Amino acid sequence: MIKLRQIDAYRWEIPREGKMRTRGLIFSSKEMLPAIQEDQSLQQVANVATLPGIVGPSLAMPDIHWGYGFAIGGVAAFDLAEGVVSPGGVGYDINCGVRLLRTRLSREQVAPLMTTLVDALFTNIPSGVGSRRQDFKLTGAAFKKVLKDGCRWAVGEGFGEASDLAHIEAGGAIAGADPEAVSDFALNRGKDQLGTLGSGNHFVEVGYVQEIYDAALAAQLGLFQDQVTAIVHTGSRGLGHQVCEDYIKVMLKASAKYGIELPDRQLCCAPITSPEGQRYLAAMAGAANFAFANRQLITHWVRESFEKVLEIGPRVLGMELVYDVCHNIAKIETHTVEGKPRKLCVHRKGATRAFPPHHPEVPEAYRETGQPVLIPGDMGRYSFVLVGTEKALAETFGSTCHGAGRLMSRHQAKKVARGRSIIQELAAKGIVVRGAGRGTIDEEISEAYKDVSGVVDVVHGAGIARKVARLKPLGVIKG
Amino acid sequence: MMGKQPATSPRRRPYRQLPHTADLAWRLWGASIPELFENAGRALSATLTDRRYLRRRATREVSLTSVDREALLVDWLNHLLYLFDVDGFLGRDFQVVSLTGERLEARVTGESFDPARHPSLTAVKAATFHQLSIVAVKDGWEATVVLDL
Repeated sequence: MIKLRQIDAYRWEIPREGKMRTRGLIFSSKEMLPAIQEDQSLQQVANVATLPGIVGPSLAMPDIHWGYGFAIGGVAAFDLAEGVVSPGGVGYDINCGVRLLRTRLSREQVAPLMTTLVDALFTNIPSGVGSRRQDFKLTGAAFKKVLKDGCRWAVGEGFGEASDLAHIEAGGAIAGADPEAVSDFALNRGKDQLGTLGSGNHFVEVGYVQEIYDAALAAQLGLFQDQVTAIVHTGSRGLGHQVCEDYIKVMLKASAKYGIELPDRQLCCAPITSPEGQRYLAAMAGAANFAFANRQLITHWVRESFEKVLEIGPRVLGMELVYDVCHNIAKIETHTVEGKPRKLCVHRKGATRAFPPHHPEVPEAYRETGQPVLIPGDMGRYSFVLVGTEKALAETFGSTCHGAGRLMSRHQAKKVARGRSIIQELAAKGIVVRGAGRGTIDEEISEAYKDVSGVVDVVHGAGIARKVARLKPLGVIKG
Repeated sequence: MMGKQPATSPRRRPYRQLPHTADLAWRLWGASIPELFENAGRALSATLTDRRYLRRRATREVSLTSVDREALLVDWLNHLLYLFDVDGFLGRDFQVVSLTGERLEARVTGESFDPARHPSLTAVKAATFHQLSIVAVKDGWEATVVLDL
């Protein structure tokens, strides 16, 4: 068992020992800790601390759970000159992320039409195992533009508004993407997956603002009580998975080449300055931009579905982007370390950026509030809107949690769901759900997840994000 | 078939799930390493859909090289996921034609996934190196592979 030292009500330290180059720092409540200790995620936090060039502690958010190599819910920053970049520190679903849309509608206007609306979303947005678009295939030049320009490409093609771009992390396109660094295998996998949801925990959710914790912040984010919202949660699909796979192979060789000692093969990495490291970052940015474009296209079809079902125009609907965040990504950012600005490569794997008010990377609209942070819960409970803080910037390289985290394996969840109609149970709670497979819905039952409010209370209590509002689902499409 | 097995050595299950909270771990078995690889392919198809509904309509030849046997197993599964993403192809039957420590030649027979006929079970993002192992056991070979879902 990994040694832990309590620092305060929300902070726990793994003291530096053995080959660790730094300490581990875990954000958790006392109540949540036993569940975290059940798997090997704390060992993974300690393993990451052994990697060359790590700056500050190896961090873990309260929704941490066992990943492959890096724990999910982990944050690790590396010096640009001496540090490493690792595809395992980003994950297979590069730029898996969440976007929140607000509307001008209130719950009473939409709730009676929810079944029709969910059906329309389900028809317009391919989801489930092997989902692909028949109407939309990417080829040659256009594909390269998607990888380079992300949401800018999508908006240029008429999917969404120019104003959307100002409300997306990195403006919806991470700089430095090189389509040539993305293999033909990856391009083949992605060619008809743009604008598809995929499966697993990905979803489109229509909900409403159920509770507001900070009226001033909520107003500045354009949120009001009972307002209808929509959340899109998906990533870079097969293209991103293939980029990760391709570069894990590259990094297995690179780790040996550069003499990097690995406690776990899945932590394979290369110096950021090496050709392998640079090429991965260029390919990763391409996959990230594909994911941004994916969420942008899905947003377009969400807007269309609302307009059609409610028989209203875009002005009345007023479906605007609140924000779009990545939660599987490595970013080159400048942070103040021991009083000096340093350029770092910050890996966030199952963690969300949470920059404070007045940070230059926070869009104009949120200069006074801090960057919006979106934390989806499970399909039966609720999701949260928070904002980033100074404390997050100082302590966690501007990062916070990303979701609820599973409590039960999919196998256990299916067992618990056996003989029950999860769809009917949710309908009784006022939530309309449609999924491509019965299996996915059973696997994603509420009981299978930790209560996301516990996770959010820890980051709020620790000051690494501030609660703004809670959203309650009304209708969900699952993969 | 079952009658041919000696009573003291019941036929081993070719694959079974191990408990894993966030993802899916398979314990695979084969009397030989080629059989272990074939069973890995079956386990993957059975994760995505009900393999019994897949017809033998098309064949894909697979040829892969990797640094070692374990990496080859991961590459094999990931290549099958690649075939699935590209045109929906899912294997019903898997035949290893030749297998050395670094090279695999295999033939896969199956068809394209059709949501109207094939149940949609669990989507898989990738096979990982996490806790990956291939070990000799008394009646053959056993492997552990964790899939990212």
